[in-house]
Amino acid sequence: MNVTEIFQKYMGTGLITIWFLLALIYLFINEKKKPMRILFIYVPVIILLLYFNPLFSKLFYRFLGDEIYFRICWLLPVAPVIAYTLVCMLNNLQGRKRVCFGAVAISVIVVSGKLVYSNPLFSLAENVYHVPQAVVDVCDAIKIEGREVMAVFPDEFLLYVRQYSPVVCMPYGRDANYFELHAMMTADEIDVEALAGEAKYYGCHYVVLSQTKPLKGDMSDYDYEIFDFIDGYVIYKDTTMNFGLTPR
Amino acid sequence: MIAIQILKLSIILFIIPTIVGSLFVKVDKGAARLPFMWISGQILLWAGFQCICVPLILLEKRFTMVQQLFWIYTGCLLLFSISLHFGRKKRRIQNFQVIEGTDERKPHRLLWIVFWALLALQLVLAGLMAYEEGDDAYYVAISTITENADTMYCKLPYTGGTTGLDARHGLAPFPIWVALLARASGIPSVVLAQVALPMALIVMSYGIYYMLGKQMLGNRNKALPLFMVVIELLVLFGGYSVYSAENFLLVRTAQGKSVLANIVIPFLLFLMLLLLEKLQKEEGAGAVYWLLLACSMAAGCLCSTLGALLTCMLVGVIGLCAAVCYRRWKVLAPMALCCAMPVLVTVLYLIID
Repeated sequence: MNVTEIFQKYMGTGLITIWFLLALIYLFINEKKKPMRILFIYVPVIILLLYFNPLFSKLFYRFLGDEIYFRICWLLPVAPVIAYTLVCMLNNLQGRKRVCFGAVAISVIVVSGKLVYSNPLFSLAENVYHVPQAVVDVCDAIKIEGREVMAVFPDEFLLYVRQYSPVVCMPYGRDANYFELHAMMTADEIDVEALAGEAKYYGCHYVVLSQTKPLKGDMSDYDYEIFDFIDGYVIYKDTTMNFGLTPR
Repeated sequence: MIAIQILKLSIILFIIPTIVGSLFVKVDKGAARLPFMWISGQILLWAGFQCICVPLILLEKRFTMVQQLFWIYTGCLLLFSISLHFGRKKRRIQNFQVIEGTDERKPHRLLWIVFWALLALQLVLAGLMAYEEGDDAYYVAISTITENADTMYCKLPYTGGTTGLDARHGLAPFPIWVALLARASGIPSVVLAQVALPMALIVMSYGIYYMLGKQMLGNRNKALPLFMVVIELLVLFGGYSVYSAENFLLVRTAQGKSVLANIVIPFLLFLMLLLLEKLQKEEGAGAVYWLLLACSMAAGCLCSTLGALLTCMLVGVIGLCAAVCYRRWKVLAPMALCCAMPVLVTVLYLIID
């Protein structure tokens, strides 16, 4: 991705960045204090020039890649500059004009941005751990005091299991796409024989599946018996594995 | 039990940094205030943590050792701050002052009420709302593993498997600091990272904007509540891009990169503003100021390996601008010295990479 595309992504809808650039122009014309001019006009401009400098970006990409190039933009004091400019503008107004301008400016900020909490990835926390309650319940059910256990989970568990429990291990996590076992777990209909074989290969003490997931075959035919039903999930336990604290 | 855990965490996150921060009251005439002492104290603790933790990670030592050394460091700082406090008291030098009462005139009081209400809302939502954040699967898992297994960056966070040392991530061990808080307070790392720490860090971030606003506005301090409300609105409505620092503050609060974007960088801007004003008045910055600047840059490295580059870039650009505008080239020498930790981290990064 080139620097312009990254900057466009950083700008998002773009309006806040436009207000920031306009604020820089306003301060350039009106700000008299030298320290303020240096910090909030010259420095942002130089950082922007550096950001768009092909030599700088080439060096950055070479050593750090392009994924985090947007973080250079964090050096731009967007919020303080906009807030300060707004305060300066309001200071030059009196009475009703001041109130009206203030109200309009704040409305413009609200309309230009997007409420962070409106992101669909936000949801009401189910517990104090901020992980789905099913993760807590399943991990608590399968953990064995004094040792680690290996379990394979459906995708909706992958981000949370290791945050909640350091003793529940997984054959794959967020990097799931590289694993054949993951492909088996996410198939429309699970081939039990193949899944059980692969789970055994990774040493899985447990296999956790959604209760609604269609299965082709019976897990008990491959040494995985039903251990528990929790929050819409069925937990299968490998009957041939060692669950003790010492090796067999 | 929970009350004791919260009390312990409050002591570690608020009381200890504030006491330690009293070492920096001479940085500026406004430095003897609670927000400055709290934040600068935390920055000093972070810098020390970085200096202790990174070598021990690279040497593959146990986490317990980091803990022991960090508490010795904190203890020494506490003793030094307290003895300095009593020394000053004897000499009748002001130790700290509370923030003066807010302007009682109605519009300002109303704006302060709006500010506090919006802040309270953000803190409540930090506790009530969960965000499906992919990177937490890495960072929070690192903290959870460290807290329980006593190893640092030697286990795969996604799976729990054993691996060789992940030295590259170990150069910015912010998750290890979270694990340290978890061990010390008894609150699990995941609860700390998802609930308790975001609350403290959000307040800290606004504390920096408060200090920055106060410094920027100078004698127009009556406009400060409006400044703060506008900052809050920009943060709350910062969801226009997933890359914005404001979005990071509310979404990924306890991740090192968010702390870099919303605490370390704004604090560096504040310190730079202090320096530029001193240059304007043709005053010297003083050794304590440079120490705080060096600590802030080290704290940036603790948060993210990119912190080394970003803090150097910011201080370098501002330093060059200041040197040119004020014809004070001498200012560049202490600034360069303050970059020691970021430069060291960069060298290590390049060697490891």
